[in-house]
Amino acid sequence: MEANPIVLDDTAGDVVVVVVEGEHDIYTAPTLRERLDEALDRGGGIVVDLTAATFVDSSVLGALLDARRRALEARQGFVVCVGETVEPGVQRILDITGLVPVLPVLRRRDEAIAAARNGASGS
Amino acid sequence: MTGRPEVLLTMPARPEGVGVVRQALAGMADALDFEASVLADMKMAVTEACTNVVVHAYDADSGTLEVEMLAAEEGLTIVVRDHGSGIQPRPARSEPPALGLGLPLIAALSDAFELRGSAGQGTEVRMTFAYSRDGDPADANPVTGTVGIDGRWDPDAPPHG
Repeated sequence: MEANPIVLDDTAGDVVVVVVEGEHDIYTAPTLRERLDEALDRGGGIVVDLTAATFVDSSVLGALLDARRRALEARQGFVVCVGETVEPGVQRILDITGLVPVLPVLRRRDEAIAAARNGASGS
Repeated sequence: MTGRPEVLLTMPARPEGVGVVRQALAGMADALDFEASVLADMKMAVTEACTNVVVHAYDADSGTLEVEMLAAEEGLTIVVRDHGSGIQPRPARSEPPALGLGLPLIAALSDAFELRGSAGQGTEVRMTFAYSRDGDPADANPVTGTVGIDGRWDPDAPPHG
């Protein structure tokens, strides 16, 4: 069992969910970029689910923003979700960087999947 | 200088070391009864400072990352130090360019922050986190701007661009 897994969940059909758990920084950002590349290659909408993430840094934000830009260019929906009770190690960086509307960030996975399906990808 | 070195970590400046620094910091902050929100800010700021060392300080994977934690009367000071080439962009590297958010985040999350260093002499980032905060330091030093078209942070851009 990897301590900080990043896995793809494609049970939502046309929207693939990149599930990110635990702490993530410059060490795991290359793995996140690989998973995001895989998700983008599927051609549909993408949701990055940070509900079980406990810490993300600017390396992770950089990976998310690059994936969002590529999704925009390819007209694929891109949405991040964080769950109903957000870890301070995730919420704080999203709040102070003003990236909630940019990425965009929603709470629940199901609403994120619906938004990504409709082609949402932030402001 | 107040206080004395409580913890000194020295390790190779590699990505896998940054999480180890966070673990040590969490132990230190727990012993000092910091609030969870301040610990979260500490972890973020120190991670960004260590990441700067890993990404920018050395030409090869041969340098060291030093982290000192000094408990003083007013708060916990954390010094992140390298002995590298000084703060400068490193575009020649193969990894994706950094977002450029590290120093703005450190300024926003710490109660006091100082950057020392010069070309060829290494760099030192000194951050202090107060035991008791009067307000949110991010209000005094907000992160300005947003991500630019080139994928790097643009501090002068209007937000939500």
